[in-house]
Amino acid sequence: MNTNVPSSSPSRSALPVALCSLLTAAGLVAFVSQAVGENAARAWQSYLVSFLLFSAIAHGAVLFSTLMHVVRARWSGPLASLAEAFTSFFPVSLILFFVLFIGQKHLFPWIGHDLHGKEAWLNVPFLFSRDMVGLLLLYGLGMAYLYHALWLKRGGQSSGGPLSQWLGRRWRGHPPERERYQRRATVLAMLYMFVFAVVLSLLGYDLVMSMDPHWYSTLFGAYSFVKAIYVGFGALIITAAVLHMSRRSAFTLESSQFHDIGKLFFAFGLVWADFFYAQFVVIWYGNISEETAYVIERTMTAPWNVLAWTVLAICFIGPFLILINKRIKTIPAAMIVICSVVIVGMWLEHFLLLGPVFHHHVETLPLSWIDPAVAIGFLGLLMAAVLFYLRQFPMALQNRLEDHR
Amino acid sequence: MPTDRASIMGIFSTEEQTASAIRGLRNTAFKLERVHSPIPSHTIADALKLPKSKVGWFTLAGGITGFFTGFLFAAFTATRWSLIVGGKPIVALVPFVIVGFEFTILFAVIGNVLGLISQARLPRFETADLYDPRFTGHKFGILASCSTGEKSGLRHFFEAKGAEIKTDDDLKEPAGKTVRGGRTT
Repeated sequence: MNTNVPSSSPSRSALPVALCSLLTAAGLVAFVSQAVGENAARAWQSYLVSFLLFSAIAHGAVLFSTLMHVVRARWSGPLASLAEAFTSFFPVSLILFFVLFIGQKHLFPWIGHDLHGKEAWLNVPFLFSRDMVGLLLLYGLGMAYLYHALWLKRGGQSSGGPLSQWLGRRWRGHPPERERYQRRATVLAMLYMFVFAVVLSLLGYDLVMSMDPHWYSTLFGAYSFVKAIYVGFGALIITAAVLHMSRRSAFTLESSQFHDIGKLFFAFGLVWADFFYAQFVVIWYGNISEETAYVIERTMTAPWNVLAWTVLAICFIGPFLILINKRIKTIPAAMIVICSVVIVGMWLEHFLLLGPVFHHHVETLPLSWIDPAVAIGFLGLLMAAVLFYLRQFPMALQNRLEDHR
Repeated sequence: MPTDRASIMGIFSTEEQTASAIRGLRNTAFKLERVHSPIPSHTIADALKLPKSKVGWFTLAGGITGFFTGFLFAAFTATRWSLIVGGKPIVALVPFVIVGFEFTILFAVIGNVLGLISQARLPRFETADLYDPRFTGHKFGILASCSTGEKSGLRHFFEAKGAEIKTDDDLKEPAGKTVRGGRTT
C-alpha cells in the first residue's frame, strides 16, 4: 500500500498537459487544413475512423469498472478506479459525434442513392437522432454510475480538483445512505452494460456497416461491441502500466493484478476473433454474392488483402501466441507494447472496413499522413480527458489496502 | 523412511500460522515432508515456493494434438465419400478449422485432467501417515521430519508457532513402522 503522492515540480507536471495539447493541436491542424481544402472527404473519413476507435476505447474501458462492480470482484479495485477515468472522454466523444454531422456528405455514400426500401432506416436525420439518443443514454448511465461509484469509494473526501471538492461538499451536506448507493450503482452498472451492447451495435450498423448499404451481417453489431471491449481493456492496461512504471505516480499494481487483466485482454482477443469467424463462416457457407462481395473485396483483392492479413496477424495471431505465456502478462512494459500494437491494429481494421467504400479501384493502400495525424489528435484528446479526471480525482491513483485483498 | 528419523505433524488453526511455520522451517535443519490445507491457499503456496506446475504443458500438448486430430478426422471422413456439396472443396479449410478448434478444447481439457492426475500422483488409496480428518474441515497440517535426537526441538518449534502436535507416539504404533501404511484414523 502506498498512499503518498510524491511531490513533483510544476514544470514536470506540466509536461503531460503540454504533450496532450501538442498532439491535439497537431491533429486539429491536420484535420482542419484538409477539411476546408480539396481533401475534405479524406479528412472526414479519417475523422470517422478515429472517432469510432477512440470512443470505443472509452466505452470499453468504463465497461471494465461496471463489470467488476456487478460481479463484486475484489482483485480489481485500483484498475476499476482507473477505468472510471475514461468516463471523462464521454462528453468529448459526444461533441465529436455532433461534429460528424457537418461532414455527412463526405461520409455516407448512400446519400441520394436508391436504397431499395432501406430509406426509412438509412436517412441522415433519423440516423443522427437515434445515434445521438443512444450515445446520450450510454453516457448518461456511465456518468450516473461514476457518481455513485465515486461516493462508494471515497465518501465525503474533498481532496483533489474543484469538481472533486464540489462533490465532497455536496455529499458531506447530505450524506447518502450506503446501501442505497450500492444498490443504485449495481443497477446503473448493469444498465450501462446492456445499453453498451445495444448502442455500440447501433453505431456499428450505422457508421460502419451502412457505408456499404447493400451488404449486411446480423452479427456485425455484436462484433463491434466485442471489439470495443478488447481495445478498451487494452487501453486500460496501457494506462495502468504507464502509471505503475512512472516514478511520479503513487499508482502501483501487484503482478497478479497485471496477470489477471492480461488474461481478460487475452480472452477478449479470442472472443473478437471468434466473432469475426462466426460471421465469416456463415458468409462462406451461404456463398451468396451480395454477402461474399464485401469479404472478397477486403480479404482477397489487392491492396486490401495485405491489410486484412496484417490486421489478423497483429490483432489476433501475434497477441494469442505471445499472451499464452504467463510471465509476459506480468511485465508492464511488454504489455504496453502488445496492447498498443493491438490498438493500432484495430485502427487499421476500421480503415479496412471503411476504406474500400471510400477509395474505389486503388492499386496501393490509400493510407496517407492525414490518417495518423487525425488519429494522433484524437489520442491527444483522450489522454487530456483522462489526465483531467486524474487531476480532479487523484484518489483514483491511491491504492488502498482493501483493493489488494 | 529410515528408523533414525522421526516425523511430527503440527496442526494449525490459521493460514497465516501455517505459512509462517513453513517459512520458519526453511531456516532449520528439519525437513518439510507434507502440507495439508482444507482450502486452496495462495499464501501457503507462496510460502512453499514450489517449482512451477507442469500441468500447463499437458494442456498445451493436448490442445495441439486435438487441433490436428479434429482437422484430420474431419478431412479423413470427407475423403471417404468425396461428395461435393454446394461447390465447396472436399477438404474445406473454413469449416474444418471449427472441428479442429472444438477438438483443441476437448483434448486440452483431457490433457489438463491427465496432467493433474499424473502430477498429483492420483489416485491415492492409502491415507497418508499422521493424517487428521480435520484437514478437510478447518485445520491445516504440516508434517516435518528430523533425526530422532532432534525430536523435541521440532516439537518446540511447532509449539512456538502455535501448533497442536501429533506424532507417531500418539497413534500408539510401534516405532519404525513404514510411513505409507494402510492406517486410517
